[in-house]
Amino acid sequence: MPRDFLDPFSRGSTICHRLPDRLKLIMVLAVIVAAMLVPAAYWPVHGCLAAALFLAMSIAGIPLRYLLVRLLFFLPMILGLAIAVPASNGFARGWDVALTVLMRGTLSFMGVLWLVNTTPFDRLLVAMRRLGLPQTLAAILSFMYRYIFVVFDELQRMREARRARSFTRRGFFAAWQSNAQLIGMLLIRSMDRAERVHGAMCARGFDGEIRTLE
Amino acid sequence: MHIPDGILSPEVCGSMALAAAGAVGYSLHQLKQTVSTKTIPLTGMMGALVFAGQMINFPLVVAPVSGHLLGGVLASVILGPWAGCLVIALVLTVQWALFADGGMLALGVNIFNMGVVGAWGGYAVYAGLRRHLQGPQGTVAAAVIASWLSVLAASSMFCVEFAFSGYGRTYDLTNLFALMATFHSLIGIGEGLITGFVLSVVVKLRPDLIYQPQDAATASPAISTSRAITVGVVLALAVAGFLAPFASEYSDGLEAVAERMSFDSLAATDPTVLVLDDYEVPIGENPSWLWSKLSVSIAGVGGTLAVLAAALLLGRGLKPPASRTGAGHAA
Repeated sequence: MPRDFLDPFSRGSTICHRLPDRLKLIMVLAVIVAAMLVPAAYWPVHGCLAAALFLAMSIAGIPLRYLLVRLLFFLPMILGLAIAVPASNGFARGWDVALTVLMRGTLSFMGVLWLVNTTPFDRLLVAMRRLGLPQTLAAILSFMYRYIFVVFDELQRMREARRARSFTRRGFFAAWQSNAQLIGMLLIRSMDRAERVHGAMCARGFDGEIRTLE
Repeated sequence: MHIPDGILSPEVCGSMALAAAGAVGYSLHQLKQTVSTKTIPLTGMMGALVFAGQMINFPLVVAPVSGHLLGGVLASVILGPWAGCLVIALVLTVQWALFADGGMLALGVNIFNMGVVGAWGGYAVYAGLRRHLQGPQGTVAAAVIASWLSVLAASSMFCVEFAFSGYGRTYDLTNLFALMATFHSLIGIGEGLITGFVLSVVVKLRPDLIYQPQDAATASPAISTSRAITVGVVLALAVAGFLAPFASEYSDGLEAVAERMSFDSLAATDPTVLVLDDYEVPIGENPSWLWSKLSVSIAGVGGTLAVLAAALLLGRGLKPPASRTGAGHAA
């Protein structure tokens, strides 16, 4: 499993990647809050923020294609919700709400997209930890991040085995059942793995507290 | 599925984030008291599993669209409500930090809707139903019903938050809510089916993995009261979600009548029909129209609270409180 299949551009070396992580986190938060608090009537402010984010993305080396693909998946959802307000008012009123939601939502989405594609998860976790995330939560999150790849590899192996055994796609219902059984088996194996990992941790002196060298 | 930023107002996001932080903190506290050293590996692994499980697509009847597992009730049934809430919070955080899925400010809202209302509430319904449904089939059936309700309750919660974000003041949102409730009751069927299939495998092969409350007999009354409250809230929200379509139908009918009547009065151009004039200017200029809409929503909230109060009273009066109301609703 390639390490960066989730956030493909987070391990670059541009100026955006080298900025302090806490600064980036706070900057993006500020952009989102600004986008929410500035009234829609001052839309040039939103435009300037969007232009700045676009610039930051191109500096960070995030391809336009990636941005467009992500927007392609993001926009229909928020569009559906935005359209629903005028739709429930007979398409006569409520267009301002729809436009506001669309504008703010897209802007905030671009901000977070920039953040996660310039900051690897482990560094983001350290930044959040310094901003007050409890240590146990940070420990569980890093454990989970580590095992996402393991569980996903296991899932791929099980899928491959299933493909090797079953020749054709059967019905709609059978596909659901077979997929859910896959998850069920994966669940059993993961819980067994968690027991084994826990045993190994205890054997090495784990007492419920994670100690780091920071 | 996850709420992005920019939809809910910062005030709503902030208060929901506080509530979610409190809930996650309480879950952590509860977990530390029971399984201290296992918390990190078990919840972390379950988070990874739910994360990976969400990537398995389930084909829908409509070809290009596909659904996936949400996993709140599944995690709660396997690991208990506290770990279940925590697992959902973790999954949402990782999805935000890796995919930009769901907003940054809205993370707290998402955790509250799916982790607290979905996993805690879902588990409360499940635990209540479990008392009446025995055996492995009972576990699966209770989990199916609970996961369906949890999806519906989470979406109703979103509707409430959306209304509180200030849009409800000036615009009629009944149809939006009806749409959300209808849509999510369909999603809930999918979630219920997937959870049921997954759990039937687990129940068949490894029934020991299903979470058993340690001392159900000696449970302190405070816990059962809080469980009754949670069940009440979940049921109330679900009922509110269910009433929404009827409410919208009623409102549509009313408006249609109003339109026809005002049209009639326009055709007649009879200035003496003052009563009908009220219906003639529904474009926000007439405060009485706004007030009538407001009163409808206030009535809705009041109704929800009334259901909550009824559930609480039932919880006090009947011996197995959660199960009886839950079973009654499910039937």
